Amino acid sequence: MQLPQHTRNFILEAGELSRFTGRFFRESVKPRYEVNEFINQCFIVGYKSLPLVGLTGFIMGLVLTMQLRPSLIDYGVESELPAMVGISIVREIGPVITALIFAGKIGSSIGAELGSMKVTEQIDAMEVSGTNPFKYLVVTRVMATTLMLPILVLLGDAISLYGAYLGVNIKATTSFHLYYTQVFDNLSFGDVIPAFVKSFFFGFAIGVVGCFKGYNSSKGTEGVGRSANSAVVVASLMVFILDLIAVQVTDLFGLN
Amino acid sequence: MEETVISIRNLHKSFGNNVVLKGFNLDLKRGENLAVLGKSGSGKSVLIKCIIGLLAPDGGTINVLGQSIPDLSQDELDRTRVRIGFLFQSNALYDSMTVKENLEFPMRRHWLSADEKKAEEKIAEALENVGLLHTLNMMPVELSGGMRKRIALARTLILKPDIILYDEPTTGLDPITAREISTLMNNIQKKYNTSSIIISHDMNCIKITADRIIILMNGRAYAEGTYDELVASADPEVKQFFD
Repeated sequence: MQLPQHTRNFILEAGELSRFTGRFFRESVKPRYEVNEFINQCFIVGYKSLPLVGLTGFIMGLVLTMQLRPSLIDYGVESELPAMVGISIVREIGPVITALIFAGKIGSSIGAELGSMKVTEQIDAMEVSGTNPFKYLVVTRVMATTLMLPILVLLGDAISLYGAYLGVNIKATTSFHLYYTQVFDNLSFGDVIPAFVKSFFFGFAIGVVGCFKGYNSSKGTEGVGRSANSAVVVASLMVFILDLIAVQVTDLFGLN
Repeated sequence: MEETVISIRNLHKSFGNNVVLKGFNLDLKRGENLAVLGKSGSGKSVLIKCIIGLLAPDGGTINVLGQSIPDLSQDELDRTRVRIGFLFQSNALYDSMTVKENLEFPMRRHWLSADEKKAEEKIAEALENVGLLHTLNMMPVELSGGMRKRIALARTLILKPDIILYDEPTTGLDPITAREISTLMNNIQKKYNTSSIIISHDMNCIKITADRIIILMNGRAYAEGTYDELVASADPEVKQFFD
């Protein structure tokens, strides 16, 4: 029995992605280390993503608070609003929304950049000049996304909690001190650490998928567009799959 | 006896069922400009990509500057590549870098100890060679096709290679610019005594630059000679390139 074409393609692509990931680990431990390019990529993927992550985080916190309030009033637990918002943002919404925004901005940009370099022979030019393009382009970008996303998640959470504080104060008056006391009293390390750890995996997946799609781009400019697009789609899907795995793992350790 | 810098014997390369090279032989002497002529899809670009190690041959030997390219480790190959310049058909300038950074890139990778002043002198020399010193801080997108080709050539020259491989150096250029590039290639060969393999369809470029021509047909070296010898050939397969 022969598998349908799209199933075979999916299995082949999954295999290629696994090989690509394996190569990343092999190349990342071998010298020479591209420190300057890594720092440059941290600036591009981290610092330059901050305004977008901050804005979405702020809106998310504000909207979440405003939408939760009526339900909590119905159940007579309006006073639990800061705690509920805090746990929701830190445990789940902050890391996942930040990762999705990051996949959209950085995944597509890496896919398009490497794809365009591939089809215009810039990657070959790098190779013939005696530079390992995989190490220079892929290892630095994947390491930067892996390291920068958790930092963005922390900053995004902080901005989001501030947005939620403003949301709380739209229809009630709660002091800044009281709000944050309620938020942090209800948060434990079991809430913060798993969320922080999973964002490293999200960052790694977004970097690997973006680089894989770009590095294997073909068919000219059409291929570049396709690489950028599929980098976002696959990276976003990977974020949800990893989130599903993370929730099972934290459940096993009794952290849910 | 003249030194042979590239020696290729019985080279085979195929992609699936498409056999591109089947027993190709070539010798390139020091200081020689050798043109490889052939129809589109005849395997000319594949040949030079095998020479630089971008493609692995299926069989045969490729010796470049005394090194067997297919047998080299990645580090050895990188060291050998420093002595080989490659001018891409698409120029392959790094879009995100200025002209200066494009030229600095290969230099900084291999001469890390070079001080700033020395590096800038080398960049200025390379740009002067191609007559484009004023483009130092421009981005590739701001340059015309001919200027981009010259900058790519300057980047190729920055490491002072012994051999330069030209992949369709005049394709897409107007006849005047194409002639300028061809003359520039000749000047570079004279100034640095480089050896070159020139892949081209442009008969004017070949006439100006080539000391010797090989016609690649059906995966083999079909005919060989100087421009004048091949023009005078009675063989219809050879004549079709010169008519």
